[in-house]
Order: sequence, then structure tokens, then C-alpha cells
Amino acid sequence: MDRKSLFPSLVAGFGAAVLTTVPGIKNFACCLLVPLAAVTALFLDHKLNKTRLPITLKSALFFGFFTALFATVFSTFFDVLITFITHTNDFIQALPQTESMVKQYHLDALLEQTMELLKQMARDIQSTGFSPLYTFGIFFSNFIINSIFGLMGGILGMTFLNRRTQI
Amino acid sequence: MHLFFKKAAVLKTSLRSIFFILILLWCIGFSFNAIFPGSTFGIVTFPILKRIYGTVCHQRIEKTFFLDGSRLLVCARCTGIYTGALIFSLLSIFFFKRLSFGIKLLYAAMLPIFFDVVFTTLGIYPYTKIIAFITGLFFGSVVFLYILAAIENNFVDQKTNQYGS
Repeated sequence: MDRKSLFPSLVAGFGAAVLTTVPGIKNFACCLLVPLAAVTALFLDHKLNKTRLPITLKSALFFGFFTALFATVFSTFFDVLITFITHTNDFIQALPQTESMVKQYHLDALLEQTMELLKQMARDIQSTGFSPLYTFGIFFSNFIINSIFGLMGGILGMTFLNRRTQI
Repeated sequence: MHLFFKKAAVLKTSLRSIFFILILLWCIGFSFNAIFPGSTFGIVTFPILKRIYGTVCHQRIEKTFFLDGSRLLVCARCTGIYTGALIFSLLSIFFFKRLSFGIKLLYAAMLPIFFDVVFTTLGIYPYTKIIAFITGLFFGSVVFLYILAAIENNFVDQKTNQYGS
């Protein structure tokens, strides 16, 4: 693993993060953005670093994972930055609706604690624009989800580039 | 030789079953409030699940299905993609002994989505959830088979070849 082989993933991951953050653009590619970024990373690597074909599953997964990782880092950063500036986000907007619905029910201890944690996050964001728990939460969830989709994108990219997949 | 084929078949069935379970869990996640309406767990975790699925979907209400008054957490096209993958992950456990197709099918699966997005964006015809769902269903099922085939071809077959030699 060297800098040259990470560069395509960095570029594609950054691109995916920008596209997921900009409102409206997500409507076009939806859940295909990260997989498409992984495919793009494989293409870029093939063009820039003259990678030999056929691409192996190992390198396809490598590019898929690192593209997802970079997409996660950048998209989390953009999300945190926008939240810091605006002091609000989708989560804050969805919480009052949840609170009003929850009032009708008797919650057990675990759900009560979960609700309290969510409220704490909302209070932090509304007062300072930043919540460490929220940041960790979105980084973790973005990482898991993007990794899955990135790995799938890597496998699809491998199929594309190898043309005949012998499957 | 018989043992070698048996081992490959067991590995493939296990892999396909794991895929089915994972996709099923994913689908339950985005439709939790619709499957279990009024569940307190679903209500409390709604902002969290919404945020998680928001990573991979725009979640616009006008493009989302409602089941029994509860909205799904992904749009109609994504619902189609995941449903297609779920159906074919189940079918793959019982059928499709060995998967084999060229790259053209993948292109063919992408074209309906591409044209639907372009045509609705240009206003040639209005967006409908049903068309979005069907195009997603076709794409999801084909993509699932490609990914499964690529993994089986590169991992399971290699592994069993090692046993065989």
C-alpha cells in the first residue's frame, strides 16, 4: 500500500462525500453514489497507475474499502461543519416529532436512556453547534454503511474492468 | 471428487444464506415502523435509523412508500433495489447452481434506471413511485447476482480448488 494506490480512492471518496452533502444531487444517484465512487477509484487506478488486468478480488475490495473510508471521513466532516454553522440538521428536525409520539407510551429503562441521550445530543447541537456523541455516531454509521456499499462497488468495478467475469 | 463438489455446494449455500439474512435485516431496518406500527422501540430509534438510511438515500417524502400510514426510510427506487436483492438472495439459496452471465446484462439493468431518472428530470413523463420501484427491482436483483457471482467465482471456487488439489 503506497500513496499512489491510495490517491484514486481519495479523489473518488472526496467526490462521493461532496455529492452526498450537496442537497439535490443525491436525488440522482441515491444509494449508488458510494458504489459508483468505488468503481471510479478502480478506473482511475487502472488509468493512472497502469494497473494490470484482470483486477483481483483483493484489490477490488481494497479500493472499495478505502474509497468508503475517505467518503466517510469527508462526509462526516462536511456534516459536522454544516451542523456547526447552522446549529441544526435533519436529526434535530426529526426529534420533536419522536418526542411527541413517545409521550403516548410508557418506555422501559433502556429506551428512556436512549431518548435522554438523543435529547442531550440535540441540546448540545442547538447550544454549541457540536455534539461529540453525534459526531461519533454519524462517523460510525457512515463508516459501516459506506464500507458495505464501497465493497460492493469495488466488486462491481472489478466485474466492469475485467469485462468477461467468467461467472 | 464428489466430496470436493459437496464442499463447494455447502460453502455456496452458506454464503448465500448469510447474504439473505443480512439483506433481510437491512430491509427490516428501513421498514421497521411499517412492519411494527406503534412499537416504542421503532419510535425511539426513528431519528437514528432515519440518519443511518439517510447516508444512502435522499428520503424525499414524495418519493417514498407509505405502509399503513408509516413511511419507509428509503425512497421507492431504493426500496425496489433492496427488495430485488432480497428476493434473489432467497432464490439463490435454492436455485442458480452456478451463475454465469456477460457484462451486457448489467448494462441492461442500469439502462431503465438511467432513462427513468433522465426522463423524469427533463419532464418527459412525471415521476411515479411504481416505475421507480420496478426499475430498482430489476437493477437490484441483477446487481445482487453479479456481486454474488464475483465473490463465489473469486473466493469460494478458489477455496474449493485448494481443497481439490
